[in-house]
Amino acid sequence: MRGCIQASITNGRWHGALRRAAAALAAASLVLLVAGCMAGGDAAGASFKPVHPGVLAVATALVPAPGFWEGPPGNGGFEAQLATALAHRLGLNRVRIVQVPFGQIVGGHLNGADIAMSQLTPTSERERSLDFSTAYLTAPPGVLAREGVEARDLKSLQALRWVTSRTSTLTPIVMNEVRPDTTPLSVEDRSAALAVLRSGRADALLLDLPVALGLAREDPGQFTVLGQLPGNEGLAAALPNGSPNLEIVDTELRALQADGTIDRLRARWLGSEAAVPLIRTEG
Amino acid sequence: MPLLNESATSGPVFVFLVVFAVILLGPIVVSRFGLPGLIGLVLGGYVIGAHGLGLIPAGDQTVPELGQLGLLYLMFVAGLELDLQILRENRRAAIGLGLLAFVVPGGLGVCIGLGLGWSHGATLLLGALLASHTLIVYPTLREAGLSDTRPVASAVGATVLTDTLALITLAVVAGAETDPGAVPRVIAKIAIGFVVLGIFSIAVLPRLVEAVLRQWGADGVARYLVILVAMLGTSLLALAFGIEGIIGAFFAGLALNSLVPNEGPSMEQVEFFGTAVFVPIFLVSIGLLLDPSVMFTGDALSLAALICGAAFIGKAVACWVAGAWLGFSWPERLTMYVLTVPQAAATLAVTLIGFEIGLFGVTVVNAVLVLIVVSILLAAILTRRVVGWMPAPERGSGRLGARVLVVTPVTGPSDAAVRAAALLSRPDGGSSELVVTRAPGEPAPDSAELRGVRQRLARHGFEGTLRVEVADVSDAVRRAAAAGEHSVVIVDEPAFDHAPTGIPLLVVDGGLSGPSVELVHGGGSEIDEMVAEIQRRFARDAPRARTLRRGSGAMTGRLGSVTVRRRPVAAAAAGDGGAADG
Repeated sequence: MRGCIQASITNGRWHGALRRAAAALAAASLVLLVAGCMAGGDAAGASFKPVHPGVLAVATALVPAPGFWEGPPGNGGFEAQLATALAHRLGLNRVRIVQVPFGQIVGGHLNGADIAMSQLTPTSERERSLDFSTAYLTAPPGVLAREGVEARDLKSLQALRWVTSRTSTLTPIVMNEVRPDTTPLSVEDRSAALAVLRSGRADALLLDLPVALGLAREDPGQFTVLGQLPGNEGLAAALPNGSPNLEIVDTELRALQADGTIDRLRARWLGSEAAVPLIRTEG
Repeated sequence: MPLLNESATSGPVFVFLVVFAVILLGPIVVSRFGLPGLIGLVLGGYVIGAHGLGLIPAGDQTVPELGQLGLLYLMFVAGLELDLQILRENRRAAIGLGLLAFVVPGGLGVCIGLGLGWSHGATLLLGALLASHTLIVYPTLREAGLSDTRPVASAVGATVLTDTLALITLAVVAGAETDPGAVPRVIAKIAIGFVVLGIFSIAVLPRLVEAVLRQWGADGVARYLVILVAMLGTSLLALAFGIEGIIGAFFAGLALNSLVPNEGPSMEQVEFFGTAVFVPIFLVSIGLLLDPSVMFTGDALSLAALICGAAFIGKAVACWVAGAWLGFSWPERLTMYVLTVPQAAATLAVTLIGFEIGLFGVTVVNAVLVLIVVSILLAAILTRRVVGWMPAPERGSGRLGARVLVVTPVTGPSDAAVRAAALLSRPDGGSSELVVTRAPGEPAPDSAELRGVRQRLARHGFEGTLRVEVADVSDAVRRAAAAGEHSVVIVDEPAFDHAPTGIPLLVVDGGLSGPSVELVHGGGSEIDEMVAEIQRRFARDAPRARTLRRGSGAMTGRLGSVTVRRRPVAAAAAGDGGAADG
């Protein structure tokens, strides 16, 4: 009997101790959870190491670039404001713009910048010189034409006079999928192609759709976007090959996508892609 | 033109061939090395995946999507097979273990996140993913006959709590990250979702499924599809409220628990497809994610070591403390451990969503994949030992409706006998068996007659098997008593007048004046309790006029009072069949 009473007391104490331990554990976990809520460290997995402390140095080729880099450098445009938002998420105080020719950027020379944001489409060739982040914009091919030019299907696209750029990744699409009736005018780069279009010597130019939308938005009397072709490419940021910052840039770009920042910037500076009709090709 | 078409090695036929070959051969190959079969499925998934031989291309969605179905199925079967009475008896244990298994590893995860200077969202998600677990080894324990034991019931019940809390944390953190003003809205939505899910699973789904099964349940295929649709529908309802589908699937399993008894033919179908197809595909789909080239890098391995330590130690502490509180032996505590340590489903869900919303980088994802593989390996190896250490489970639960046998002459069965069987077995989640007896010279019922009987059985909610025996009713009852496998025998023959056996005998008379039931029993102190219990179950009888036909005469009335015929127990039968005594 005495043993039973003793066992009962021991058991009661044991249960009491367990309850107290469980309560302490729960309280400690709650404290940790609250502390967790108050902490404001990096996104998990990596941290950003800038070339210059507190500064995100961004290389870009074309300033101004309608819709992407507008006004005083870093003030307006999709990529300019995305760079600012990215710097903020990375815990950096400001953004410094480094202007670098496009050919140098795709060759992997960022002139000391941490990152390049210059309407870059990742390709396997470019990936030999650069590390690309996750895409921040979808960029199917878009047909930029002189205002007044019309085309609603492949046949009418083929009848247009085209201009192509030798550095563009979209030129093979013009040649192999659109297959114009007359041989396109071939020029060195996008600036030269736009000059040909403005002069009236060509009717249409194939660009990444967000780029085409930016140009048409800036100069509606001169340009219009006739349509978009099927495609699932994207525009991404580029970092020097083997950069330790790739993981954190990727992670923060996904966060900017998830919290709606990228959608808001796209709507403000580039307009809606949904309104642009799809023109099917045979490719 | 080449003789063989190269495109044959791509496309769905090739993918299915490769996957089912892994399901067949994976477990066989690893068992040669003394490893559990499910390791063969995960490793097989890696071998055929994009990072292995590349037989399943990186963008393939077929296997991952089927794997999702397998995951839902795993949770659904866990709810379906759960012995609700044991869960009720162990609800304190389940809640206690669930809270500990969430708080301890979750707290350790939060400590790691804080220590590494992660953001608050990433820290909370790490805690949530370490707190969750998946019942990967449950099928192994079930095969060992341990599914009705206290530690298994506690751990399965605890899984609902831990995974629910983990997924609520995920929903709140994801809501806060994607829309900082949305936290109260997300919490309110989830709370409303659980209320709706609870009401739907308790009040709507069982009635709906029962009504559909009464209509079409005679067809085994339709029966299975109704169950599958119920599972997917409830999962979708959960998703609509921002609750993960696996919680919905588990609720669906609980809702159909009594309609699909563990020993019945429907459960046989559910288990067959689960074992052969859905659950193995889920494990193969995990294997497809494995990429050793990034998993085994310095950063990923360091983080993996940290989170593996937190998960394994956290779950061990939770199971040990809960086990001590509940008075469990160490094999029972280990049983809880092997059920709560594997990380797969909710862990993967939390990790991938954390990755998509920019809280986790690729290093975290790789570290979590290491955790998943190691935890499954650890649990699978430990489980084989634990099964040997656990005391043999008690056979025969002693519950009245655990296994009901109806014996009827070839003119039967009467509607009253079928309803009595359904009413007795349903509350215990028991199964039923109908034996139609015929004399040696009597013609066997043809397939049309048997189909008609099956339709009548389905209409009365009878979930069980049907067989025809050449014997008279008395012989069949005597044999059943001698075998001692049934908890109660319903004799559908009013003229039956034999001595009682060790098993309670209910003699049903579905006569024109209304059904009557007589309990033939050898006496004993529990007889009044048994009569009261039978009458309580019969009180739920709600026959519909249209279905109350037996032979040429229409019956009216409900099953109601039970009269007792006391007789001395037949010595031989009692001696042979002493297992179940109601």
